[in-house]
Amino acid sequence: MAVLSIDTSAAVAVALVAEDGTLLAARSVDERRRHAEQLAPMIAGVLAEAGLDRGDLTAVVGGTGPAPFTGLRVGLVTARTLALAVGVPALGVPSLDALAVQAVTDLALAPDDEVLVATDARRKEVYWARYRVVSQGGIDGVPVVEPVAGPDVARPADLGDALAPPAAGRLVVVGEGATLYPDVLTVTDGAPVQPDAAALARVALQRRDAGLDLPTEPLYLRRPDVQEPVAKPRVVPATGAVVGGDA
Amino acid sequence: MASGDPLVLGIETSCDETGVALVRGDELLVDATASSMDEHARYGGIIPEVASRAHLEAMIPTISKALGEADVDLSEVDAIAVTAGPGLVGPLTIGTSAAKALAIGLNKPLYGVNHVVGHAAVDQLVDGPFPDRVMALVVSGGHSSLLLVDDIATDVTELGSTLDDAAGEAFDKVGRLLGLPYPGGPHIDRLAREGDPTAIRFPRGLTAAKDQAKHAYDFSFSGLKTAVARWVEACQDSGREVPVADVAASFAEAVVDVLTAKTIAACRLHDVETLVIGGGFSANSQLREMAAKRCAEAGIDLRIPPIRYCTDNGAMIAALGSAVVRAGVAPSNLDIGVDSSMSLTTVTV
Repeated sequence: MAVLSIDTSAAVAVALVAEDGTLLAARSVDERRRHAEQLAPMIAGVLAEAGLDRGDLTAVVGGTGPAPFTGLRVGLVTARTLALAVGVPALGVPSLDALAVQAVTDLALAPDDEVLVATDARRKEVYWARYRVVSQGGIDGVPVVEPVAGPDVARPADLGDALAPPAAGRLVVVGEGATLYPDVLTVTDGAPVQPDAAALARVALQRRDAGLDLPTEPLYLRRPDVQEPVAKPRVVPATGAVVGGDA
Repeated sequence: MASGDPLVLGIETSCDETGVALVRGDELLVDATASSMDEHARYGGIIPEVASRAHLEAMIPTISKALGEADVDLSEVDAIAVTAGPGLVGPLTIGTSAAKALAIGLNKPLYGVNHVVGHAAVDQLVDGPFPDRVMALVVSGGHSSLLLVDDIATDVTELGSTLDDAAGEAFDKVGRLLGLPYPGGPHIDRLAREGDPTAIRFPRGLTAAKDQAKHAYDFSFSGLKTAVARWVEACQDSGREVPVADVAASFAEAVVDVLTAKTIAACRLHDVETLVIGGGFSANSQLREMAAKRCAEAGIDLRIPPIRYCTDNGAMIAALGSAVVRAGVAPSNLDIGVDSSMSLTTVTV
C-alpha cells in the first residue's frame, strides 16, 4: 500500500511512499522543458523498482505549484488521470509547502522559526510564500508548517515585508528562486532547493489523515498572456486623397 | 457489434476541443466533447494558454462523461489512442499526458496518432471500411491537406497542403475583414447563400501553369484573402456600400473551386474512385455542393460524414486507433513527445 507522488513544478520528481511515510523508490530528472516525455517512464520505473503494482496504490499526489504552466499541468493531469484509472483519490499539495517542510528537517528549524520559499517564476520573478514552523514533527513525524503570506509572484526586489524578521525565531530563505537572485536574496546554507516528491507525499498523507480538503487545482498566479485584438491596418495604404478622412 | 474487436478509448486535445470517445471495430459507442471556444471568441482566435487551462479542467469530466454514457468501465478498455500531433503544443501535452496515465493505470497499450489522418479515419465509423485506395481532403481552421490513403493505419501519402493559411483560417480572416463575429466560417457560409458566387472573380491560388510543376496539389489562400481585402477597401474608398453577400459568395467560390478542382485532378491521376472529405471546414455548404457535383461528373464516390464527425473530437482518434490496433501496429513508448508540425505521412509515433 503506497502513494505515488509527482512534482513537476521545477524538475520532474516522482516518489513512491508507503502509507507510514517510508520511502520506497524515488526518481528525479533536472529537466525543465521535457516534463511530458520524462514523467510517465519515471512512474513506471518507480513502480517496477519497488516491486509494486498499480493496484497497490492508495492515492496519487500532485504538486500544485505555483510553477511555469506547461510543466505544472503535465504533473497534475497525470496525477488526476492515473488516480481515476486506478480508482483512488488524487491529492494536491502546493509544491512550495513541500519545500517549507523540507527546510524544517534540513535546517533543524524550531517552532516559530519562519521560512521564505522562493522558486523560479522566470521573467525575472519568483513564486514565493512564507511559512511559520508549528512543529518539528507531528504524530506522524512529519514537520508541520502554516502559511503566513503568499503564495504570490513578484520581482525579488519587491518582496519587502516578506523578508522582514519574524516576531520570534529566525527567518530562513530556501528554494531555487532564492539562489538565482543573490543580490537580493541570501539563501540559507544547506537549504533545500527543489521540491522533493517524498516530502510532498508525506505532507499529503498528514493533511489527508487530518481530514483536510486537498484540491488539485493548479496555482498559476498569472493570467494567460493575451491581448484583445486591434483593428488590422489596411492592405493598401490610404492615398493622399483620403488623408484627413477616417484613415 | 464485432465483439471480438478491441475497445479503444481515443483522446483529442490538439486545439480547443477536449474530446474523448470509445470505438469498437468501426462502431462508435460514445463521443464526448468539451469546448473552450466561447473563451476564445473575444480574442478573435485560439489562445493556446487559455485552451491548455481548459483542457486540464475538462479532461477528467470528459472521460467520466464518455464512460458514463456508454456504460463502460475503464477496466474494459483494451487500448488508448491519443493525438500526438499536429496541433498546439500546450493542448497536445495535456492529452498525451492523460493518455499515458491511463496506459499506466490500466496496463494497456498506448498509441500516439496523427490528428489529420484521424479526420479521414472517422469516416469509417459512418460509411464503413475504406476500399483499397481512397483520396482524403482534410480541410479545417488549421489544416488543408490532400492525402492518398492506401491503408489508413500504415500507408498514407501527403500529396499537398496549404503553403500559408488553411481554408477555415482564410474564412475566419475574411470574416473579420467583413466585420463578422469569430469564427467567421459559418457566418460567411450563411451570407454566401444570399450572394452571387460569380459576382467578383477573385484569384485562384497556385492554379497557374507555372505552379503545376511543384505545387499541383498544394493550396494557397493568403493571396486570396489579401485580394478580398483590397477589393473591399477600394469599394469603401469609392463610397459604395460593400455588397457583403456577393463578396462572401465569391470568396467562398474561389476557395472551394481550387479545393475541389485539385482534389478531382489528384483522384484522376492516382486512379482513385473514392473521395473522403473531413475536417471542420467540410461543414461549408458550397464545398459540399461543388464536391458532390464534380465527383458525380468524374464518377467518384464521395463520402463526407455528418458535421458532428468533421469537427475535432475523440471519435476520429478512437477510429484511427481502432484501425491501427487491428492492423497490428506496435504501440507507442511512454516517452513519446508531441509534434506540433507532425508529418502527415506519420500515422503513429
